[in-house]
Amino acid sequence: MSLFTMKNVRKTFAHGEVKEEILKGIDVTLPEGKITALTGASGSGKSTLLTIAAGLQTASDGQISFEQQELTSMRSEELRQIRAKQFGFIFQFAHLVPFLTVEEQLALMLETAESSLSKQEQKKEIRQVLELVDMWKRKNAYPPSLSGGEKQRVAVARAIIHSPKVLFADEPTASLDSKRSQEVMRLIQRLSKERHITVLMVTHDMDMLDYVDHVIEMRDGKIIQEDSIH
Amino acid sequence: MKMAWKEMKKNKLRYTILGSIVFLISLLTFIISGLANGLSQDNASLIKNLPDGTFYMEEEADETYSFSSLSEEQQQEITEAQPEAAFFSIQMRNFIDTSDKQRSVAYVAATNSSYYPQVNSGEVILDASLEEEGIAVGDEITNEQWDQPLTVAEFVNHEKFSHSAAAFINPDDFQALFHTDTMQIAFVADSVAQNSNEATAFEELQAFSNSEFLNTIPSYSAEQLSLNMIVIFLLVISGMLFAIFFYMINVQKLGIYGILKAIGVKTGKLFQMMWAQMFIISVISLILSALISQAFQLLAPGGMPFHLTWQATGRLSLVFIIIGFIGATLSGIQIKRVEPMQAIQQGEI
Ligand SMILES: Nc1ncnc2c1ncn2[C@@H]1O[C@H](COP(=O)(O)OP(=O)(O)OP(=O)(O)O)[C@@H](O)[C@H]1O
Ligand SMILES: [Mg+2]
Repeated sequence: MSLFTMKNVRKTFAHGEVKEEILKGIDVTLPEGKITALTGASGSGKSTLLTIAAGLQTASDGQISFEQQELTSMRSEELRQIRAKQFGFIFQFAHLVPFLTVEEQLALMLETAESSLSKQEQKKEIRQVLELVDMWKRKNAYPPSLSGGEKQRVAVARAIIHSPKVLFADEPTASLDSKRSQEVMRLIQRLSKERHITVLMVTHDMDMLDYVDHVIEMRDGKIIQEDSIH
Repeated sequence: MKMAWKEMKKNKLRYTILGSIVFLISLLTFIISGLANGLSQDNASLIKNLPDGTFYMEEEADETYSFSSLSEEQQQEITEAQPEAAFFSIQMRNFIDTSDKQRSVAYVAATNSSYYPQVNSGEVILDASLEEEGIAVGDEITNEQWDQPLTVAEFVNHEKFSHSAAAFINPDDFQALFHTDTMQIAFVADSVAQNSNEATAFEELQAFSNSEFLNTIPSYSAEQLSLNMIVIFLLVISGMLFAIFFYMINVQKLGIYGILKAIGVKTGKLFQMMWAQMFIISVISLILSALISQAFQLLAPGGMPFHLTWQATGRLSLVFIIIGFIGATLSGIQIKRVEPMQAIQQGEI
């Protein structure tokens, strides 16, 4: 069995009387420990698929299994626990907590994930991850005082500090210039390798495909092409 | 708790405004409740100073003590059942002091009583408020209808009735001066009552608890009712204030709540954060207004009826905190409703 698979996932949104099917039966298996990119035209359903996979919204139909557990039939508290402990998220915008320092953002994530590390080990881990994203020197800064790239690097750090099994990222580089984008992508690549994290990432930017192992292309709610790059 | 505090530190203005409004409302509440209590002391400390017990009046008196008259036989009957019963009478009347000034007082006569001062015949013991007005021990007070003046023997603190100073006189003097041979009221304290579980019932007598008796005093219940209504309104307003303020604060934070939920933070933890903030704000504001209202009590002019105990302040503070808690929780229903997806789609925060 694979770590993360989706079978025949469908999603229908009701616009008033009209029902619109946004995902029309998606089958995906994420290669374990690899980076999978989700591409396709705007409105093709990438973000919808990603957030359904991540347990942030429900599918109208289909099965999603993670470690032999069926996410679609889980109670919301079980799903929350999986999100907190096993999943990491990077959104298009950093979405940091404005009143916590960089260091505290990560501490909050470890606390949320009910980390088994001691306080001391947590501090060490936070330092290590912040050094990895080159933000240790700004550990006491508050998000409003950070640049877009810095915020996104903190968001990446927050997404992996608790060693999740799967990392979901929706256009993590969209708000960054190309130099910063490359940096963040290299970071995700490195973290995925070092920590054996399975990544599902939505991107528009073809340059980013250099850093991924597997590409899924969508159109109108369906997968039209799937390639393994390496 | 830590997150709650950090957020408040980062948004000082917002929480200071909320805190100062809670402070002002609670201060107002404390002061009005001090006034209510002060007025009630001023109106009835003579009765309020008594221990818990049972009052008896004639049924025919229709809850008006001045119409009640307990005959010798009735007094005897009561004393047989309750040997520790005290009898007393109250009469509102004037006297003329040494400088020919008319003053209205409540003449009080009590038998045997350990509750009120014993007075020798021909003497009177006055509430200390009259001492402040220039009457001294040894002064003679009189009244047009009396043959004999009374000599002021001493002053006692906090004995007022119907907003007038109490003037304790000997029961025999009372009967002579006011042409009566009965007493109006019998009182049996719970602590000395025989088979004290239930007040003894007597034929043709009506029994009252302390608070029931207080409410028979004209003006007492009306006065207390209106002041207590103000206090209750202020408490309700403070609850609504908490609800409205936290609602506004929460609306601004829905994005953050959504993201926190997305990364797996429990909804309960978000509620705890809000409760902690409500608690911190209330405790600081309440301590401040408790201190200021106590200072007000010390500095208030002597004639101002103001009486606020720490216990009363503590009780009101507790009510404030409970109401604030309810208000904040009601407004927190939004936190429960917020969906992570809304926040993610909303963009930069
Ligand atoms: N909550 C919703 N209610 C109704 N329609 C929705 C909702 N979320 C998404 N949609 C619709 O579903 C379609 C796919 O949206 P989605 O955000 O998944 O596209 P996308 O591939 O991520 O596009 P982009 O590249 O522009 O981010 C769009 O037409 C969108 O309007
Ligand atoms: Mg999208």
